[in-house]
Amino acid sequence: MEAKIPEFGRFAEPSLLILVSLSDGPKHGYAIMRDVERGTGRPMGAGTLYAALARLEEQGLIEPLPQVDRRRPYRLTAVGASYLAEQLRGLSEFAQMGLRQLGKTSP
Amino acid sequence: MRSFLIRCYPARWRARYGDEFEALLEERPLGPFDVADILLGALDAQLRLRGRGAVIAHGRGLSMSLRISGIAAIIGAALLAGAGVLSYDLVEVDAVVQPVLFFAGLGTLLVALTGLSAFQARVAPRLIWGAFALTAIGTIASVVAMVAFVGNPLMADQYWGLWFLGVATALSGSALFAIATYRTAALSRGAAVLLGVGSVLPFVSGNVQPILLAAVISFLLGWFTLGVQAIRLDRQVTDPRPA
Repeated sequence: MEAKIPEFGRFAEPSLLILVSLSDGPKHGYAIMRDVERGTGRPMGAGTLYAALARLEEQGLIEPLPQVDRRRPYRLTAVGASYLAEQLRGLSEFAQMGLRQLGKTSP
Repeated sequence: MRSFLIRCYPARWRARYGDEFEALLEERPLGPFDVADILLGALDAQLRLRGRGAVIAHGRGLSMSLRISGIAAIIGAALLAGAGVLSYDLVEVDAVVQPVLFFAGLGTLLVALTGLSAFQARVAPRLIWGAFALTAIGTIASVVAMVAFVGNPLMADQYWGLWFLGVATALSGSALFAIATYRTAALSRGAAVLLGVGSVLPFVSGNVQPILLAAVISFLLGWFTLGVQAIRLDRQVTDPRPA
């Protein structure tokens, strides 16, 4: 499935981090925040989290599941998984290109 | 506090996310960073729900980040350094420039403190709120004193006292922030020590100029180092592909 790359502006990075967090299964907001903080060593505020979640949901990249004890888990959609894979491949190619260039210039 | 923050979001947003968002806010202590982030999130939601199409199309959005705080710490330290240099009359500028630099520096450092408190608020929420409150109150008091002085120079002695009290309060806020930063160890402990020493030393310097100068340098270096470290932590990793 070809996913149209959505515009997330300043929420591009938090959105990607959320998608990565959801890649191993559904999670609610607090679990996503903890996951992102553990993975990156950087805090993610609740305002940023929900601004990104709303955009991701609007673009159909994630979908909400029924609430459990007032917490609502989210999961990746098929389009979201495809979009995430595409983004990660792009990052990986860029990293490899950078490492190759560094290898040529390093003493 | 939580219900106020949630009420800042538009009704339509609250109807969809309000309950789960409130549950999330109940799960951990909120610090100045979280409050600023939520207020920016609420503003973002208000703007998006009003001008939906255009906002999404241009990818705008508001978020609080360590990068903003890091830049604010560096700029704030630079502004205060500029104000300090001007106080020695080494350069001839308009008399209003020095106080403006000084207050702009204090205000910018308050933004930095807010953003950098993201780590400390989890561990020491009271300490970090105390640091924020003292810095904010001190900054406001010294601005009020300076504005009042300009309006009524005959009362200079009284306003000088208020200004001094304001600066001392703001320094106390920085000292608390340094303690919280040291305890948390999420950012550089060395920078926290520099900031702490720079914040406390003026109180015990006995107005000895070399000690005061050392305190100022230590204070500014502390903020500068914290700023650089925050920017490093917040390095962009998303979509770095070349155009």
